[in-house]
Amino acid sequence: MAAKTGSSRVAIPSFGGKGKLWIGLLVALMAAGIAAWGYQLTTGLIATGMRNVFSWGLYIMMFVLFVGLSAGGLIISSAPKFFHSHRYEGFARLGVLVSLACIIVAGLLILPDIGRPGRIYQFFTSPDFRSPMVWDFGIVLLYGLLNLWYLWLLTRRDLAARGSALALGFKDTEAGRERDRTLMFWTAAVALPTAVALHSVTGWIFATQVGRGDWFSPLVAPVFIAKALVSGLGLLLVVSVLADRYTNFEVDREELTSLGKILGIFLAFHVVYLLAAERLPHAWADHFEFWAIMSNFLIGDSVYFWLWTVVGGAVPLAMLALPPLRKRVSVIFTASVLAVVGTMFEGIRLVFTGYEVANIDSAPGISLGGEYTGITTDIWATAGAYTPTLVEIAVTLGIIAFGAFIVTLGLKYVPIQRVDAEPSYATDGGKQDQ
Amino acid sequence: MTKHGLVIDQERCIGCQACAVSCKQENNVPMGQFWNRVLTEGGEKMDTPSGGYPEDGGSGSLDMQYQPTACQHCENAPCVKVCPVNATYTRDDGIVEIDYDKCIGCRYCMAACPYNARVFNWDEPEHMPEEGTGDVEARPQGVVEKCTFCSHRVDEGLDPACVVNCPADARIFGDLDDESSTVSKYIDKYETDQLLEDRGTDPNTYYISGEMSPGRPQTSDKMESELDDVSPWSDGDDDVPSKEADSAGGESSGSSHSVEGGEIPYATPAKSGGDD
Ligand code: SF4
Ligand code: SF4
Ligand code: SF4
Repeated sequence: MAAKTGSSRVAIPSFGGKGKLWIGLLVALMAAGIAAWGYQLTTGLIATGMRNVFSWGLYIMMFVLFVGLSAGGLIISSAPKFFHSHRYEGFARLGVLVSLACIIVAGLLILPDIGRPGRIYQFFTSPDFRSPMVWDFGIVLLYGLLNLWYLWLLTRRDLAARGSALALGFKDTEAGRERDRTLMFWTAAVALPTAVALHSVTGWIFATQVGRGDWFSPLVAPVFIAKALVSGLGLLLVVSVLADRYTNFEVDREELTSLGKILGIFLAFHVVYLLAAERLPHAWADHFEFWAIMSNFLIGDSVYFWLWTVVGGAVPLAMLALPPLRKRVSVIFTASVLAVVGTMFEGIRLVFTGYEVANIDSAPGISLGGEYTGITTDIWATAGAYTPTLVEIAVTLGIIAFGAFIVTLGLKYVPIQRVDAEPSYATDGGKQDQ
Repeated sequence: MTKHGLVIDQERCIGCQACAVSCKQENNVPMGQFWNRVLTEGGEKMDTPSGGYPEDGGSGSLDMQYQPTACQHCENAPCVKVCPVNATYTRDDGIVEIDYDKCIGCRYCMAACPYNARVFNWDEPEHMPEEGTGDVEARPQGVVEKCTFCSHRVDEGLDPACVVNCPADARIFGDLDDESSTVSKYIDKYETDQLLEDRGTDPNTYYISGEMSPGRPQTSDKMESELDDVSPWSDGDDDVPSKEADSAGGESSGSSHSVEGGEIPYATPAKSGGDD
């Protein structure tokens, strides 16, 4: 009994009890986030776990994650369009919606990291075009607008047919449809290189830095692309399975399995191939004996490394590769969750490798700019250490909740699927109305 | 063109921390922060050597050196290149400086600086005494700050505070573009290194180690280029560099100092009130 008007469907016709509970939870998280940010604004960034040696923390780690997450949806919806294929059509709109929410989350995560948010206008009045951060600012903005435009373009005919105000006066006509098809092709043609640029530029923020250990590597940008493919597709699968379960959104089982397979390929390329390519030359150059080279190549250094490569790499890869498992929705779902979590730890690890070790670490070290129990008892430190504070966690969760809120609203107000494009056998399990 | 640079003679440095302290005082550096730190190259802790004692079968390899470290005023400064809003910039005279009005506090420059020379005001900066010290306005919460080569003094023709106050004459400030300056001569004559040379930042701070230089006896707090005689000490002459030396020990000039004149660790000769 999906709500149908014309030939499109919104996923959430109206919020039921569970839906209201979900909205309530998100609103509570957002409120807590705003309160925590307010607190941080009055006390300063001293409320965070960051200090002079370790001067970027959770906000930047999560920024990196969410920029990556915003890749999947847009690519899955625009790549087929670019090749004039109808493959994965059922995911197209949800994909762009998720991408849009993620890039908004990423952009917002920068705000609490800024020492003086009131001066952000300086980006416009006094930009230095040598700074990768200026490039990133531009590309994140562009990417966000592109997603917004694309989502509207994909849905405006259906919005018009439903008489929604979101159609912004657009009329659904035969000629308009023809033109929209051309527009979609061109948008897809622009979206793909923009996505590549977004992830490369975000990678270059780190990869250009000579003073932060492993950051300074030409591989960082390609790794960011691979990471975006893995986590972005992973998140899209997670959201679509959840939406299928709890809303009227319907997942095409066959396409889901096929996307699961693609996720496996992305994972193999990223966690197995790129990581090996990154590690082998160093392991080889630094060690002499065969086994020393091998063990340094294969065995990582930090717990984040293991969380990323095993929990977020090997395990989901195995799940998606084994024929008896890989067709199950629950397996695809779990593997996707792990892929996202693994990518998160990869980002955390990247920031840690940059700040953990100081290039010049003679005693007494670097002044921290404030006491921080957990590093030392005085103001000096010769190495970086970082644990996020509750304030940082609350702000981050609040912003992520805002992203989830956007997706939820999208599911409510945007016709997320064309019904006619739906094969009849598509669904998984019984679906109840909300 | 002028290109200001600093030569630090590690053989002369006695690790007394006078430069670190005078920097903090002159520049009103907040509690918990240091722009200039005297590091011990040697053992695990400050003022401890590495190696073993020569007695009781020890290796006799004790070794220790001090490395005063502040902003290196890099020529190819990554902090300048990363700053998204042009808050960190290089002056025409080579000094890397921050416009605190522009700084948004993104701390990208801290990630970029390989020397950890930059500090961030994580909370409302605290000063001791409360009204602050020295001749530089306090910076607000939420911006990054660092050594400025005492640009406020350099603009007045004075040597940086840490240079003037080095009791071992281990810090020599001058114009690297001027071949006859003491810094240029020493870099030419002595074994000098730049820190983390392999990073390609090309610092304008050089460290002498190996053979000890004659340093630059601080007979005045004027910059070398302001003196009448050109660095007589660099070629071994005993000439008194300038008449100003005689008036050393006169009254202090710093009107914004909150301590009594007599308690200021150095006395500004001539130019009274010039450093406001
Ligand atoms: S030492 Fe650091 S802060 Fe100073 S100029 Fe070089 S990179 Fe910039
Ligand atoms: S913290 Fe300030 S000086 Fe440093 S890069 Fe950001 S805006 Fe520039
Ligand atoms: S030049 Fe001035 S700011 Fe720099 S370390 Fe010396 S006293 Fe401090």
